Amino acid sequence: MTGYSKEVINDLVNGTLPWPQTRRIMSAYKDDDRFFKYLAVLQDRVSWSDPILLPVGDHLFICDSAEGRITRCECGHSFGDYRKNWKLKALINVRNTEESLREIYPNSDIPDPSWMEIREFFCPNCAHLHEVEAAAPGYPIVHDFEPDLEGFYRDWLGRPLKEVA
Amino acid sequence: MLDRTANSLQQRLLESERLMGETGCYDGITELRLRKEDPLKFETLHTKLRAYCVSAREMARRISASPGVREVGEMVVAIYTPEGDAIALSNGIMVHVHTMSRFIKWMIRNGYEQNPGIRDGDIFANNDAFIGTVQVPDVMDVVPIFFEGTLVGWAGAVCHELESGGITPGGDVCLAQERFTEGLFVCAEKIGENDEIRRDYVIRCERNLRMPIYWVLDEKAKVAACIDMRESVKQLIGEIGLGYWQQLSKEYIEEGRRAQLARTRQLTVPGIYRGHTFYGHVTEGKPGFQPLADPNWLYNIPIEMEITSEGKIRLDFDGTQPWGYHSMNCTPAGMDGGMFVTLTQHMNFEGLVNDGAWMATEINIPHGTWTNPDNEMAATATSWALLLPAYGVFQRLLSRGFIARGFVEEAFVGQVNSPMIEMGGTSQYGSGFGMAHFECAAAGSGALAIKDGLDTAYVGWNPESDMGNIEIWEQNMPMVYIGRSIVPNSGGAGKYRGGCAFISTWLINKTDHLRLVTSEHSSRVFDNGGMCGGYPAPTCEKHHAVRNSDIFERAERRQPLAHGPGTDPLVSDFERTYEGEQVWEEGPYITRPHKAGDIFSHAYNGGGGFGDVLERDPIKTAWDVENGFLTREAAGKVFGIILEEDADGYPQADIDATVARRAEMREERLKRAIPVSEWIAKESERVRTSDFAPEVAKMYRSAMKLSPRFAKDFKEFWGLASDFAIAGEK
Repeated sequence: MTGYSKEVINDLVNGTLPWPQTRRIMSAYKDDDRFFKYLAVLQDRVSWSDPILLPVGDHLFICDSAEGRITRCECGHSFGDYRKNWKLKALINVRNTEESLREIYPNSDIPDPSWMEIREFFCPNCAHLHEVEAAAPGYPIVHDFEPDLEGFYRDWLGRPLKEVA
Repeated sequence: MLDRTANSLQQRLLESERLMGETGCYDGITELRLRKEDPLKFETLHTKLRAYCVSAREMARRISASPGVREVGEMVVAIYTPEGDAIALSNGIMVHVHTMSRFIKWMIRNGYEQNPGIRDGDIFANNDAFIGTVQVPDVMDVVPIFFEGTLVGWAGAVCHELESGGITPGGDVCLAQERFTEGLFVCAEKIGENDEIRRDYVIRCERNLRMPIYWVLDEKAKVAACIDMRESVKQLIGEIGLGYWQQLSKEYIEEGRRAQLARTRQLTVPGIYRGHTFYGHVTEGKPGFQPLADPNWLYNIPIEMEITSEGKIRLDFDGTQPWGYHSMNCTPAGMDGGMFVTLTQHMNFEGLVNDGAWMATEINIPHGTWTNPDNEMAATATSWALLLPAYGVFQRLLSRGFIARGFVEEAFVGQVNSPMIEMGGTSQYGSGFGMAHFECAAAGSGALAIKDGLDTAYVGWNPESDMGNIEIWEQNMPMVYIGRSIVPNSGGAGKYRGGCAFISTWLINKTDHLRLVTSEHSSRVFDNGGMCGGYPAPTCEKHHAVRNSDIFERAERRQPLAHGPGTDPLVSDFERTYEGEQVWEEGPYITRPHKAGDIFSHAYNGGGGFGDVLERDPIKTAWDVENGFLTREAAGKVFGIILEEDADGYPQADIDATVARRAEMREERLKRAIPVSEWIAKESERVRTSDFAPEVAKMYRSAMKLSPRFAKDFKEFWGLASDFAIAGEK
């Protein structure tokens, strides 16, 4: 069975693994023990100790905490109950003028701001840009991902999560 | 199990579907008996089938006259069961492996066994998307495989034709607004017998196409490939026995189905995933478009994907726009094909790749929308315009699952449209001609979660991307290249940027009548997205051209030429350099004919970015600036990277200054941004008063009319009453 060390997974996740090695991983059979090694790598990366249950973005995780299962930024900021859309607790900057769109697209043709705006969702604590939406004005904010967390741990990983109150 | 020799094909197909419904397994194959008995033989024989396909395709490409097939590889071949399910396939435009399946099933369901009859040596062709293809230039040929009088399968081949005889030249007929202007249709027709293409069919092609040599030689190439595969399969059956083959071919598909479910469980996380993209269709004021509907249209493409605990992928297009009088509609065959080609790239990278993978998925394409028109007169000649952005969303949804599961090396921000140029008129040799320029098959890809996207090396419809050789294109059209270069900043910004696109600039040459038309070109909106903080790629680039330019005079005076429009979106280098009539065109380029001395440029698209721009590596960025993938201006403004120059004048990142600048930018973000709750409160007033551009308001009205769920979600999100309606025309 294919398997890699935690160090290799760490470099892979950080984008620092040399390309020939990355390429071999891409071409090989997948390593079935990846998930928990991946969680361990991410857990080492954060400064807090609440256990990460599932990554949902580049620096965004569902984790167990004293306030229940929450979506948390890598910096530690909580976006609340993981079943709710974390974006609703974020900070937003909307680029809906030619001037503000030009800041991101200085040398390209830009959308018509009356047809499309760019929405940036930031962590209110560390200002990390977690997600960008390109949407028509008035388009509801999308809830990107609602994982079946319990089902995943129970049926796919065979390690049911503890019941929460 | 059904007696496979005594029953009609139609009965066999119905029985196969009944068995699938009853057992949940393909054709009722609940046990992979042959695989269990001898797994090595099982694998070896599949490898042989795949080799038959790959070698048949390579052979056929040498018969073709079309640079699309020869150079770029716009072809795929596959081997099917008698019921029309793919067992094995080649590389190439794999979207059609499943569309051909629909074509075969359509013939079976429509009684082709009785009339026109299915006999050894027959050749059937189709390019009708409502029967089974994506668009009119995708012409498919299938031949039945008989072994000692028994139908044991089909061999099929598809080529994308460079010219299909529509209202505008080329294959992706931008101007088609109904099927009657799309070009030459071959609707599940028997075009040959005894392994020979009928002369009357060839005559029809020769008299209805602008450049019949491409289509006709491609037909010969496809038939040769089909015969080659047929004979190989017959030889194999002679070695392993008919009964073994019949069981084996079914087990391969069931194995493919199970492997897809297992791979979904291995690589992703169950749950609901959502995303969307948009496409702007602007034809107002453009010549040739009939006033059949509003000239401008904003398409929303929302997708919800469910991954069930079994590992099944369900895609739902509920909430998207209706079909329209334009060429961008798609048929169920095209939607299935898009799903299939995406799966082959992202999940079926090992094991048996065949129709089994598709059987492990479900798709909801609401009737009446562009994904499933309730009017078969609808045109589909440029269905990729909406299909590619849609399946780019699907790739991002799958990638969210890969990231959650830890397989970050598979996460991919997705495909983009790669606008095509179609052309026709008088060639450089003085004869009539028509063709599609296929260098578009080398766009930029979306970023990965661990590295930048591929530059000029990816398109969603053909994983074996290739832009072809300049010299070959120049042989086939009355234009010569005066520039082909990377478009700086064309990849979406992010920690990992999207792959960059390229732009070509041509001098129209040795003709007084060249019609240039472009398609799959979103106007006014980006038709892609970024991921995890990455920005979308700028995919609404406009065209620049110069009519009656002074390029020959400049060349004579040995003055410098502009080889592309440059990086100033407000004033192009053409305007700065050339005298002549400057043309600036958004969306599909469709104007009066060009002639020798005119200059035309066309940019392809890059892919979306991944991750926060402020995490991008400054060293990589300096390299990007040095090599023309990024402008110095973008490096500073967008990425917060301060570049100095080294002793040789090359850009070099000032790390300390970059760290300081990025800290400032984070502060600026916090100052500028507001809580989402505040924004929603403010924005809901705008929604309540329907303060939208007419096209945006129309998009909402159409989506709500077709989808009660979209209407409900929209009203709930903005806190609107249940009887709320967007103001304006109903």
